[in-house]
Amino acid sequence: MIGRTVLRIVGPLAPSVVIVVAAWWLALEAFGISPLVGKRPPQVWEYLTSSEAHREAVFGALGVTIRDAAIGFASGMVAATAVAVAFVLFRTVEQTFMPVAMLLRSVPLVVMTPLITLIFGRDLVGVAVIGGIVVFFPALVNIAFGLRSASPQATDLILAYGGSRLTVLRKVAVPTAMPAVFASARISVPASIIGALIAEWLATGEGIGAEILRAIGGFRYDEVWADIVVVTTVSILAYAVVGVVEALVLARFSDRPHD
Amino acid sequence: MATLDRRAFLRTTGLAGLALGLAACGDNGTTTSGSSSGGGGFGSVKLQLSWKKNVEFAGEYFADTNGYFKAAGFTQVELLSGGGSGTSVESGLATGRCWAGLSAPTITAPAVLQGAPLKIVGATFQKNPFAVISLSKNPIEKAEDLVGKKIGVQDSNELVWNALLKANGLDAAQVTRVPFQSDPSMLTSGQLDGYVGFVTSGPVNLRMKGHDPRYLLLADAGLPLVAETFTVTQETIDNERDKLKAFLTAEIKGWKDAVADPARSAELAATVYGKDQNLDVKEQTEEAKMQNELVVTDDSKANGLFTMTPELIEQNIESLAKAGLTIKAEQLFDLSILNEVYQADPSLKLA
Repeated sequence: MIGRTVLRIVGPLAPSVVIVVAAWWLALEAFGISPLVGKRPPQVWEYLTSSEAHREAVFGALGVTIRDAAIGFASGMVAATAVAVAFVLFRTVEQTFMPVAMLLRSVPLVVMTPLITLIFGRDLVGVAVIGGIVVFFPALVNIAFGLRSASPQATDLILAYGGSRLTVLRKVAVPTAMPAVFASARISVPASIIGALIAEWLATGEGIGAEILRAIGGFRYDEVWADIVVVTTVSILAYAVVGVVEALVLARFSDRPHD
Repeated sequence: MATLDRRAFLRTTGLAGLALGLAACGDNGTTTSGSSSGGGGFGSVKLQLSWKKNVEFAGEYFADTNGYFKAAGFTQVELLSGGGSGTSVESGLATGRCWAGLSAPTITAPAVLQGAPLKIVGATFQKNPFAVISLSKNPIEKAEDLVGKKIGVQDSNELVWNALLKANGLDAAQVTRVPFQSDPSMLTSGQLDGYVGFVTSGPVNLRMKGHDPRYLLLADAGLPLVAETFTVTQETIDNERDKLKAFLTAEIKGWKDAVADPARSAELAATVYGKDQNLDVKEQTEEAKMQNELVVTDDSKANGLFTMTPELIEQNIESLAKAGLTIKAEQLFDLSILNEVYQADPSLKLA
């Protein structure tokens, strides 16, 4: 079952990789971009395979970025889930808190970042806040919507048998919200990587978000393109992993019989 | 905050819209090179500036305002604002987005070493304007003072910074480098102990706001380098020598005017070319006066603006070597075009 699910979700990735690489190459050729700046796939391959130092530069930074993205993803999802639960349990919280959440979303992050670094510092806490903000709002809206879609009949049943609203949440709302939770997780995977890149560029000064700009500053465009390739790859893989987990979890919560 | 926003936007577009931007550049390139072969006139060209339009480019403003570019045969020299990572002169030249650019040896040299056929044909700032700027309550006045400090360094100054550390035997781990986008308030708010910037702008700005700035010139810390260098492609030198000479002639005239009149330089920057930058005329005037000391030296008085003596070239090559950029003078510099300009018309030299 797990094997088949993995294959079903990862399988289509192979042709998409071919398409992406072809589009990358063709676009550069079509627009006549100088290979000094617009590196082609073989040049990036050559860069990554030719020297241990190159690999260290790219994958060392990538490791930091994955860590930063994971921190942002976790903090954003946890905060969004907690707030969504509070929204569903207490109506007034939503009316009070929603404008604040919207504010976080409508002010460009690059403008807020200097303030965030001033308050939370430039360490992992700052990364968690910056990454968390990117993930938080879409996840909040999705999860709150999911929690509210609980079947009224099932809710009534539990209340009639003397269950509390917490029981309703646990037994009905949470399982109903699972597809919404995973939809937001999927959106949040690339978003958390963008959040990590912004945090690295403006706050911490390490990882791909910082290195890629330094590489541009030093005219190391092969490193730039290698960075883009690895970050994109990680993004796609993480998205696929969420897809696999989603398929497995939803199969568990599904009301259809298990196969 | 407003300026930070704009700058930040530039950076973001540089990062996120990299592919898109490059695509657009390639497109422009074909039209630029197509229009360059006009009969008598040299058509319209684009000059990529190294920074936002402030008084650093006073000579360019004069050359445009006083019609020197037109007199030299150009219908227009479009000044492209810089300052974002996506708008580097070197990538602009490599992709044909601009015809010439104002850059620095620490940025051009790595591009040349990567195989970009580029050359520096003149240097506006004879002396290195880069400095580590700090405040008197926590001064950084010698390279050793850097140890244990938090210093803001822009990504485009990566190589200058590494060179400074190397030239002074400092290890990168001894100094905390903080991401920085040129907002001096990070220094006054205490987030930074110092930052790397032009000595012509930061200290003046800080003094006007009532602070007491200190600075360590990189030139005094073992790194003499020229700046605001005219960078062009080898192809331009080989095939458009007359056009390049005409351009440099107009630039010389513009900069002679700029050097002679700091107040008008500031006015052009603040009220015409850099209108949207909220520049202060008084501050820009002070900057113009300060940068005159970097532009007009004994050598440039004797040989003409933008020229580089063989000794100066040698110093630059040595400074670059300290930054880990091993490059030969003839790979990076070609001052022959400028010399021909001055030979043909010695009156262009400063009186």
